[in-house]
Amino acid sequence: MRRHTSVLVIIAIIVGLLAYSFFNSRSLGSFGITVLSGLFQGMLLFLVASGMSIVFGLMDILNMAQGTYFMVGTYVAYDIQHAGGLIDLTASVPDPNLRFFIAVVGAILVGAGLGAILERGLLRPLYARPVFQLVLTFGVALVLTEIITLVWSTTPYSWTETFGVREGFFELFGQRFSTYRLFVVGMGFLLIISIALLLQRSRIGIIIRAGVEDSEMVESLGINVRAVFTLVFTLGCAVAALGGAVAAPFLGASTTIGSTFLLQAIAVVVLGGMGSYVGTAVGSIMVGLAIAVAQDAAIGTSFSILPSITPMLLLILILLVRPSGLFGSNR
Amino acid sequence: MKQLRSNWLYSLILVFLIAFPFIVGALTESSPTGVPRGDRMIMRGESVRWQAVLIEVFILSILAMSYNLMFGFTGVISFGHALFFGSAGYIIGLALEYTALDTGAALILGSLAAFVICGGVGLMIGFVSLRLRGVYFTIFTLAVAEMFYIFFSRFALTKAEDGFAVTELPVWLDPSQSRLTFYYIVLALFVLTFLFIRRLVNSPTGAVFKAIRENEDRALAIGYNTLRFKLMAIVIAGMLAALAGILQVLLNKKIGPEMLSVGYTIDPLLNTIIGGIGTFAGPVIGTAGLHLLDTFFRDATLVIGGSTIQVANVWGLVLGLIFILVVIVFPQGVVGTWQSWRLKRQIRHLESRMAVEPSPAPESG
Repeated sequence: MRRHTSVLVIIAIIVGLLAYSFFNSRSLGSFGITVLSGLFQGMLLFLVASGMSIVFGLMDILNMAQGTYFMVGTYVAYDIQHAGGLIDLTASVPDPNLRFFIAVVGAILVGAGLGAILERGLLRPLYARPVFQLVLTFGVALVLTEIITLVWSTTPYSWTETFGVREGFFELFGQRFSTYRLFVVGMGFLLIISIALLLQRSRIGIIIRAGVEDSEMVESLGINVRAVFTLVFTLGCAVAALGGAVAAPFLGASTTIGSTFLLQAIAVVVLGGMGSYVGTAVGSIMVGLAIAVAQDAAIGTSFSILPSITPMLLLILILLVRPSGLFGSNR
Repeated sequence: MKQLRSNWLYSLILVFLIAFPFIVGALTESSPTGVPRGDRMIMRGESVRWQAVLIEVFILSILAMSYNLMFGFTGVISFGHALFFGSAGYIIGLALEYTALDTGAALILGSLAAFVICGGVGLMIGFVSLRLRGVYFTIFTLAVAEMFYIFFSRFALTKAEDGFAVTELPVWLDPSQSRLTFYYIVLALFVLTFLFIRRLVNSPTGAVFKAIRENEDRALAIGYNTLRFKLMAIVIAGMLAALAGILQVLLNKKIGPEMLSVGYTIDPLLNTIIGGIGTFAGPVIGTAGLHLLDTFFRDATLVIGGSTIQVANVWGLVLGLIFILVVIVFPQGVVGTWQSWRLKRQIRHLESRMAVEPSPAPESG
């Protein structure tokens, strides 16, 4: 019954957003661009929020550093792709497309490494003191941001290197659509489905879902839950860094990205229902679309602040209807 | 008499703080009130410079103590304490600069409005998010604070990112005219806040706060309306943070969105954890220690292996690392660790005494 209303709420919001955008845009083409941009941002959000949500469900840790891992992803990808910086591959790998691939892989590896260090080295001693885990992740976000500032300074970088995939476009309804965005959206959907399959159909997925229900019980069955914790946490951070890497060609790299995406991801995780994977997936797409529609609506008005507060407005709206989120259980 | 004996250290520190401007003035041969030029005072000299440093320590201590009331004594974590601090600053700034009231009335009404609004905002956030268990409150405070930060850094009326200067202050309060008066006012408010929090936490209400921190379900089971007590803690903490915000604006005579930024949430959090969570002196010691270190080393440079490092550039990193280290290794902070060490020593002392002279066996009969 509860799910029923949740589904109705989701459909109502998405249809409302699409209808508003459709009747406000001048042509089918610009409507399409808004939708594509919304899906693109939704996928980026999903990459940050999914790790946060699964980790929260499994370990009861809200990782306040998740946005910072996204930011680390943008910086690593930028650094590998461009000349100068810490790693200069422009001479050894002249093909920019291949270099972008290396940049993305590099960002994932750095994210995974930092994630494993955080879980193993810093969070593990604190399992007896859950309050401090939350505070610690906040501190880690601070330290990582400071390190980034020291290495790359606070000046924002905008992506200058062009490569084939990024510049490609196709025409539809008289508008040019970016192939890159479509590619990221497709990859995001693929990731949503594969994580869902991993959770539903594999042995490790069963352990994770059982751990979400009751991790002590799983441990008492002789399964090394701690190892699963580390794995899930590391994967969550790696996926967030992947998100940062694929977002970098559009967003560039700057030190404010971390807190922006942390807040949006928090909005997604809470409105989807803390710890619910389906809620996170649906919530990301919804918030992404809402931001895109708000960006569209704010053009030319003095209300340029609208897109940045849209996630919070949507969150408040949904919490008024469903206090524990769309797919959340009352805990 | 007993009161005086148990508080002798606090009394001593208070006497020192009252005499401080004159001690520095005598040591450095500078006037505690600044140098007069015409009918104005110029704030020059070591004494007035150190007054400003201590005023900021007092203000940030009030902020940290208010944070400790929630985090340390009630067990409610907020990541948006800057919200109260900055909103109060904006309210008093707007009241002084943008209303037609004369400065005295604007000061009083602005302060009242700041207290009421900050308390109200705390009540609203708490009411929406505290009924749900777990981290909802923490998330909500962070989200609302960031929303306010975004709003005020783009809001044209308050000069967006630049903020605006507060010029219309009564002369007797103006820290760039009569800083000594301002020093004593802030010192008095700081001491009052300290005493107020100690009185509150040692009262029956404070006992419920601590019960909620230790085990909320049990407090609920005994029959306490824990939501009401948590809301009370948040509203009081919000108002005290508002006091700190008002004083900060009066000191700097400037208000900008940075007062709402996450930095002013991290500051009290850090000071409280390093000083000692759930202790009375902890937040003050943490604030004073970190702030004075910052003042001393801000302009220093380190030379490591031929490369020079500006301390100001790595200060944030150092703070963050200290923070992580304290959370993992000394979660009780300076004061808490010292207290437990003293307790252990007393126990050992008693044990050794009992081993040397065993108490006579109780007479049977």
